[in-house]
Amino acid sequence: MTVQFIINWIATTPQFALPLLLACVGLIISERAGILNLGAEGFMAVGALTAVIVSHDFGTPWWGLVAGIVAGTGLALLFGIAVVVFRTEQVLSGLTVVALGAGITGVAGRSYMHQTVKGIDKLDLGFLAKLPAVGKILFVQDPIVYIGVAIVVGLWWFLYRSSLGLQLRAVGEDPATADVAGVDVAAYRISAVLVSGALCGLSGAYLSVVSSQVWVEGMIAGRGWIAVALVIFARWNPLRAVFGAILFGGADALTPRLLAIGADVPVYLMNMLPYAVTLMVLIAPTVLKREVSAEPTALGTVYLRQDRH
Amino acid sequence: MLENVVLTRRHYVPWRLRVRNFTGGIASGLVIAFAILVAAGVSPGAIVNEFIVQVFLNSRGLAQTVTTATPLIMVGLGAAAALKLRFWNIGVGGQVWLGALGSTWIAINDIGPPEMRLPLMLAVSVVAGSAWIAIPVFFKLRYGVNEIIMTLLLEYIAFRLVQHLVFGPWQDPNTSFPVSEHLDSIERLGRLGWGNAHSGIWIALGAGVLMWLLMERSRFGYYAEAIGLNPVTAKGTGLPVTLTIVLAVLLSGGLAGLAGGTIVAGAEYRLTQFLGQGYTFSAIVIAFIARFRPIPIVITAFVIAGIFTAGETLKVFYSLSEAIVILIESVILFSVLVSEFFSSFRIRVLKTAPAK
Repeated sequence: MTVQFIINWIATTPQFALPLLLACVGLIISERAGILNLGAEGFMAVGALTAVIVSHDFGTPWWGLVAGIVAGTGLALLFGIAVVVFRTEQVLSGLTVVALGAGITGVAGRSYMHQTVKGIDKLDLGFLAKLPAVGKILFVQDPIVYIGVAIVVGLWWFLYRSSLGLQLRAVGEDPATADVAGVDVAAYRISAVLVSGALCGLSGAYLSVVSSQVWVEGMIAGRGWIAVALVIFARWNPLRAVFGAILFGGADALTPRLLAIGADVPVYLMNMLPYAVTLMVLIAPTVLKREVSAEPTALGTVYLRQDRH
Repeated sequence: MLENVVLTRRHYVPWRLRVRNFTGGIASGLVIAFAILVAAGVSPGAIVNEFIVQVFLNSRGLAQTVTTATPLIMVGLGAAAALKLRFWNIGVGGQVWLGALGSTWIAINDIGPPEMRLPLMLAVSVVAGSAWIAIPVFFKLRYGVNEIIMTLLLEYIAFRLVQHLVFGPWQDPNTSFPVSEHLDSIERLGRLGWGNAHSGIWIALGAGVLMWLLMERSRFGYYAEAIGLNPVTAKGTGLPVTLTIVLAVLLSGGLAGLAGGTIVAGAEYRLTQFLGQGYTFSAIVIAFIARFRPIPIVITAFVIAGIFTAGETLKVFYSLSEAIVILIESVILFSVLVSEFFSSFRIRVLKTAPAK
């Protein structure tokens, strides 16, 4: 019973962890280029709604996911132009994008409220899925989980092993030096923001089309903010984000599992868990003084070539 | 990219330019909002009628606007108190929830003598709001933990706490809805006999005057101004930087808590899971557009309240989502943010890109 419960719990964790992971890695790319991106919740909301609209109207969840990516990228383009070209305050611009996402999805999604859609089936991996315990955890997942993990590993490689990734990190650490070295700071920053929008859009689309298979206003429910916190926990490293996402996803997955076995738990207090866990892991490392911050040096600052020393 | 655009930071922004750009920002925001409403199927005539005539010039509508403005003034003042000192309180809604919880707790447990009940409820709502923000203040100032995320997460935690209480121990046994028991009549703020408007508006206006005295006529406000402009210089000149930030931020949480207390005592008469929704962003919009100054905050809160009142009507008669309000707010804030670019920088566009 207990073992079975734990296996079930771990097996459902990936679908809770994946949206956090995708959004978090997107934000890491943006913040590594020096743009403090608080807009995740907004990009995810438009991604989630657009994915449901396209999945429902065209009947294909895969195109829904693509549409979610496009929608997230679209809103990110607005954010990117504001912060990179018009040098708007990054914290306020991020908050505004979140509000914009809530507003757009509330108004445009009214007729799709509680619209259900056909999701994406889990992969059938034959004998692998039948392995005891491991089979259920590793081999009975939907395809997006595997695609998501591949994206994350790919982006880690890009950041740490490719010269484009090196230039991107240089833009986030010291844009003036990168500029002198011939790196186009504005182009890198806008592109990084677009990547974050695309991944957050996919994350939102996954939440609506794959996880819950329904659109409900406000369904992102703070997951974008958890992803923002996860960036700090992950120390701006995509691979560390995997561990963080599993931790937070696990906390998120616990309540539905407990309810499924009919346990008598205070549901609303349990729903507090993901936010409380996030708060704890945000505070604990600093208080215990184990680590110095890995924050990109130029994060959140405006770059003007004329300021160069 | 855009190498031929040369920007020079303006160290001094002439007030004419500032006014021109700010007006331009607001105006373009309104134009976009207008276009969105037209696209959503509201005719231009109806927009003018619903957003100006019905909410400010009609007695019934104005009463509703005043009722809505009451908590908005307080959260706007609260947000400004923290933002002015560059402490990002992005969880104003969380402190509103705690204020509502605090005053409801006093009311349903009948704590204190009846004649002191109402003042006690409001006092506890202030303390509860301050206590909720004391957590991020401590960890920010002592350990440097990011306050943006702390205040935000605490709002989600506060909301789950409210849900736990109204679905559980505090639920009114006489109903199956997730609401607390109604307040007794001595626990309510008096009605003004004009729509739903209640005496909380005097508390809100009083808070506005007090904040004006504190922020613009006292030594504390002068310190706050200096710290907001440059905390390092302020520290260097010997100002009590930490103490000022702590007090201002606790005040921020307290004002938001008071807003929650007056919503319970003046408008709802009980705790519900909807009464504290959506205050965080409105508070930031109000504080930012009013440049963190108390008197403009009161006026801006009043205008935003008008948008809320109109939003209610549009919801009923045009079956638009109430999210139209946050959409309008965000469009306006976005365009004001962009307009700042034209004040902060001197912009020259060259015909050919300069050599690096």
